[in-house]
Amino acid sequence: MTEILQIMDAFQGHEIFFITYDGIRSRELQSQFRVYTVPNFIGHAIPFVLSFFRMLYILITERPNAIISTGSEIAIPVFYFAWALGMRTVFIETLARINKPSFTGKMVYPISSLFLVQWEELARRYGKKAKYWGNVF
Amino acid sequence: MIFVTTGVQMPFDRLICKMDEIAGRIDEEVIMQIGQSQYIPVHAKYFRLMENDKIKKLNRDARVVVSHAGIGSILTALEQHTPVLILPRLKMLGEAWDDHQLEIAAAIASNENVRVVYDVNDLEKHLKVNYCYVPRGGRHALIDSIKEYLSSI
Repeated sequence: MTEILQIMDAFQGHEIFFITYDGIRSRELQSQFRVYTVPNFIGHAIPFVLSFFRMLYILITERPNAIISTGSEIAIPVFYFAWALGMRTVFIETLARINKPSFTGKMVYPISSLFLVQWEELARRYGKKAKYWGNVF
Repeated sequence: MIFVTTGVQMPFDRLICKMDEIAGRIDEEVIMQIGQSQYIPVHAKYFRLMENDKIKKLNRDARVVVSHAGIGSILTALEQHTPVLILPRLKMLGEAWDDHQLEIAAAIASNENVRVVYDVNDLEKHLKVNYCYVPRGGRHALIDSIKEYLSSI
């Protein structure tokens, strides 16, 4: 979340909403933006399934023109639903990944409309589709 | 004021212990976020965790931030325009699961506002320097490109 907040200027003029894990930081975010939260679903079977339905429902009702994520694994189901619904997706690999692709990055690479990395070297590790357009520093 | 931060995942006693020792020798106030560290500071003020708003304020008020090489901590300091000294966690010393922080340190060493310290004994010397935040437009290239992409769809 720290990373996406560095580039909010890129979304000026667009209506924005967030889907993120429930937590202190998402509650702070709610004072500024429209935020949908889901419980951190990793390792919990029921919330895991419920979160998937909720994400799908949010995408269908909101119909965003683009979905942008800097990770983490919460991006995987959202990106696959978006892909199935024909929505545009932009994945920005975390700055913390310098020369090794992340699990989330590898999962969404094939289906992302635009795939950005924040270090030039990492673009080579991913393949042709990965682009380096600068980083959040 | 010097703000020291270690993140929350694993202890980082090497940094906390050394900074507490330094705090006992200098006049400047030292405040530390110690996370899971076991060493309890005696010279510096400390806490384990704090809300993001307060963390931001500490980063903003600090003359310099001393941090582990975690991207979140580094970004938070730079966002508040405070120079950062980083000491990467080492796998060898049980401070991290891998040496990922060494990679981060090497990659961001070219940033004017970040100084990497590998030896904990060099911290005090570095803290005597009067660092000045150098404004840079690093992220603008990325922001402008994404903006352009979004307006094209």
